Amino acid sequence: MKIDGACHCGDLTYEAELNLEQVLVCHCTDCQAMSATAFRVVARSKPDTLTLLTGNPSTYSKIGTSGAERVLSFCPRCGTNVFSTTAGDGPKVHSIRTGSIRQRAELVPVAQMWTRSGQPWVDSLSSIPKLEEAYGPPGGITTYDR
Amino acid sequence: MKVDGGCHCGHLTYEAEIDESIVTVCHCTDCQNLAGTPFRVTAHSFEGSFTLLTGKPKEYVKTGGSGNPRIQAFCAECGSQIYSTSVGEGPKVYNLRVGTIRQRDSLVPTRQIWARSAHHWIDNLSSVPMYQEGPPQPR
Repeated sequence: MKIDGACHCGDLTYEAELNLEQVLVCHCTDCQAMSATAFRVVARSKPDTLTLLTGNPSTYSKIGTSGAERVLSFCPRCGTNVFSTTAGDGPKVHSIRTGSIRQRAELVPVAQMWTRSGQPWVDSLSSIPKLEEAYGPPGGITTYDR
Repeated sequence: MKVDGGCHCGHLTYEAEIDESIVTVCHCTDCQNLAGTPFRVTAHSFEGSFTLLTGKPKEYVKTGGSGNPRIQAFCAECGSQIYSTSVGEGPKVYNLRVGTIRQRDSLVPTRQIWARSAHHWIDNLSSVPMYQEGPPQPR
C-alpha cells in the first residue's frame, strides 16, 4: 500500500510502500518512554521504499534489547516522531510511526510485541469514561484543559 | 502523588506533584500526529508544582482545538516528548506525558477525551495476536 505522511509542523514529509502484514503494536519500555504514551504503533515499509520528500530530521541512536542499533528520526522543530530504521548500510526497512501517516485510519495492527511490559489497562479502554471532545465533566476537570 | 521522570537519553529530568485520580487518554489528531501513536496519556501537575531538574526542552507552539496556544516540549537530543503547558507567565499546570514518568506503572487512565477521532480498533486490542518479546519476522 502506498502511503504518505508528515510531521505536525509540515517540515518533514515522506512517502513509502507499506507491508500491511507488518502493522505492529509495540509495548516495550523504550517505546513507552520515548513516545511518552502506553505503546507505539508502527507500519513497516517494504525495503528501500521510504523517500523523504522535504526536511531534515534529527536522529537519535539507541541499542535495542536484541543488541542491534536503531536510528530514530524526529522533527527538530515540532518533535514529531516519524520513523526508525537500522544503522549502517544495506536495504532499509523503516518502522514508520503511524500517527504521522495520512492514511492511518486504514491501518489495523496485526500483532503486538513486547507485551510482557505492556500497561495492563490497555485491553480495557472501553471501560474508561470518554468524551467525544474535551470540555466538561466527568470530574469537573476543565481547569486542566485550558 | 509525587512523581519524577525524564527523557530517554537522560538530558531532561523533572519532578512534580500530580493528582493521580485524573489521568487522561487523548485521542485527538494532534496527539496522534505529534507522538506518532494512536493516543497520548497525560497526568496533570498541580499548579506551580513542576520543576525541571536538568536540561532545557525544545518548545513547539501549536493551537489546540479550543483555539488556545499550547507549548509542546520535547528533548532535542532524543525526541522524547515531555509535557505540554500554556503560553505565558505565572504558575502553570503541566500536562506530563505518562511514558516519561518513572512511576507510570502505578498510573491508570480515568478518562478519555477527543474520542470522536479515536481509532476504530482501539477498544479491541486483546483480539490482536500478542508476542511477549520481539517482533514476528517478515515473510
